[in-house]
Amino acid sequence: MTPVNENQALRILVLNPGSTSTKVAYFENEECLWQDQVLYTIDQIASCRDYLDQVEFRQNDLETLIREHDLDVSNLSAIASRGGPFKPLESGTYLVDESVIKDVRNKNVQIDHVSNTGVLIAYDMGHRYGIPAYFVDPISVDEFEPEARISGFPGIDRKSLVHALNIKAVSRKAATELNRNYDALNFVVAHLGGGISICAIKHGRIIDVNNAVEEGPFSPERSGTVPASSLARLCFNGQLPYETVKKRIVGKGGLNGLLGISDLREIENKIRQGDRHAELVVNAMAYQIFKEIGAMAAVLKGRVDGIILTGGVAHAQRVVERIKEHVDFLGRIFVYPGEMEMEALASGVTRVLKGEEKVKSYT
Amino acid sequence: MHQILVINPGSTSTKMALYHDEREQCTHSIAHLPQELASFKTIADQFPFRTKLVLQWMTHSGIATTELSAIVGRGGLIKPIEGGCYRVNDIMIQDLTKGIQGQHASNLGGLIAKEIAKQAGVEAYIVDPVVVDELQPVARYAGHPAFSRISIFHALNQKAVAMEAALQIGKPYSQCHLIVVHLGGGISIGAHLNGKVVDVNNALNGEGPFSPERSGTLPSGQLVDYCFQRQKSKDEIDRMIVGKGGLVAYLGTNDSLAVRQRIDRGDQTAADVFAAMGYQIAKYIGSMSVVLKGKVDAIVFTGGMARDSELIRDIESQVSWIARTIVIPGERELLALALGALRVLRGEENAKEYH
Repeated sequence: MTPVNENQALRILVLNPGSTSTKVAYFENEECLWQDQVLYTIDQIASCRDYLDQVEFRQNDLETLIREHDLDVSNLSAIASRGGPFKPLESGTYLVDESVIKDVRNKNVQIDHVSNTGVLIAYDMGHRYGIPAYFVDPISVDEFEPEARISGFPGIDRKSLVHALNIKAVSRKAATELNRNYDALNFVVAHLGGGISICAIKHGRIIDVNNAVEEGPFSPERSGTVPASSLARLCFNGQLPYETVKKRIVGKGGLNGLLGISDLREIENKIRQGDRHAELVVNAMAYQIFKEIGAMAAVLKGRVDGIILTGGVAHAQRVVERIKEHVDFLGRIFVYPGEMEMEALASGVTRVLKGEEKVKSYT
Repeated sequence: MHQILVINPGSTSTKMALYHDEREQCTHSIAHLPQELASFKTIADQFPFRTKLVLQWMTHSGIATTELSAIVGRGGLIKPIEGGCYRVNDIMIQDLTKGIQGQHASNLGGLIAKEIAKQAGVEAYIVDPVVVDELQPVARYAGHPAFSRISIFHALNQKAVAMEAALQIGKPYSQCHLIVVHLGGGISIGAHLNGKVVDVNNALNGEGPFSPERSGTLPSGQLVDYCFQRQKSKDEIDRMIVGKGGLVAYLGTNDSLAVRQRIDRGDQTAADVFAAMGYQIAKYIGSMSVVLKGKVDAIVFTGGMARDSELIRDIESQVSWIARTIVIPGERELLALALGALRVLRGEENAKEYH
């Protein structure tokens, strides 16, 4: 890959398949010119057996959307896709090549997650038009130190599955605010979405994170850590099938399990109407979040340049205030509500196209 | 001077001692062979047998019941209660006999104490049983209504060393913010806020750092997969969490001294696993520091593994920024029980009533 001519505009199409949407954005020289999305109902998605079932209709809908925006695909510099829970990889921007496509088609991935479809769609489009496709900081970014991998029982290891894309992007943003070099800083980043990832970033590397699908604080839709003995009892009581138990951990756990709804705005309304139970449950979620932040501060030996709260839940004032009140002593707090995945994908690919960073190979 | 008889029945032994105030006068431990105890159907059935052994020792040691000021036994699996020294009353006798929260040898402590106290005409007490529950409401939630966090921990030793640390700090325990780290076969890490343990991991239920014999928290998704593979029975999985998890699963021994020797001889696996245990302990201490909003008077290490100065140094390297550390190694249960009763006899604390 040779660096592009400085005068040439960088035109990047960004794809981000989420649970009930595919987000699309078009960037020219790092400026977002338009963003749009294709929305799906939960029923539409539920009828699919796995992520591979979703590739065809998502790709068709996406191409229709692109035509509506009059985008000339053949004129693009690159396509950037979100990366899924592939095999463990170091952080960076990767070329979508035959080897990753083969793994994703053969379901050689760590979990069945819709983000796996992105590279398939990007690769196919890119292939047809002769444009390179990339993915950036996939969910399977793994920069753990050895001691973080051991659980407490051989055969069960702690795994790094993490909202790496947004987490890396917000830590770069905080570094810019601090006017310091990202690689020289330590952060605790709490990505507070439907799932929650809280990680310790040491000099740019995610050296520990709760795996949001099976560890850590409970979240709007997931149970997080549950007492192991109680969980084993549930698995052996003979009443519940495997899928039901799994659903209690991811999907029907957390706020969804405890209150029957996962939307924090709705829950906030209930609290305002005097629902004390809902208030206690939301406080308990904040409690588990700040406990995990404390654990990651210990991983960094207290040398913390910033605590970053990001993701959709960072819009919830009640949760943010409670966390701040407890973690204030750890360091400066940055709140970046929502996520910046589209910009992060465009930036990751831009860095590679400009030759500022070397592209990485999946194999 | 107060004379206190202390009784601590364990699963494989009965320990007893006589204290004159804080000073131990004599102590004795009787080992019980498994086949000896196998003939009893329930724990409560062992009551006459173990009572007789204590009375025989008293006679042999020349301890007259008439000279005793109080008798204190190890408390068992009764209903959740706040910490303190409790009079053994009729409701407690019923609950200990039934074993309402489970069968455990410590259930006998209050029963034997009460029996001898009747003969001596004094009060019988129990102090800080494992069911001490002072969790704040937000700490009780697990991430699904099918689960909850329950307070079961080394309350007797945690409270005893917390009070000792408070003395060193020069503040009453009721005004201290402490993180107490009990490093035994199981590990419990408690946040003591003004005399109450407002959060603590429940090592018996698969929570917290792994320890010499327990797995601690396990990734839930993988655990569910493991259970549903049905290659292991329910009992085997239970033992993998408590009894055969942690160090013993990775290294084949629950003896942390033996592990330290292996590390010194260059065993890299042993070094890696031991480092990971220290790492998980440090992470949990970090969590508890945030529960206390960073206002921590001291981190207190106790239990048998607190004698391993290298382990303590490794943990300190990760958490010493939080607060000063105090090391009170070992677990002096008999002394802790005697001190609990002594505080009541001296009027420093009121005995509590069990309901």
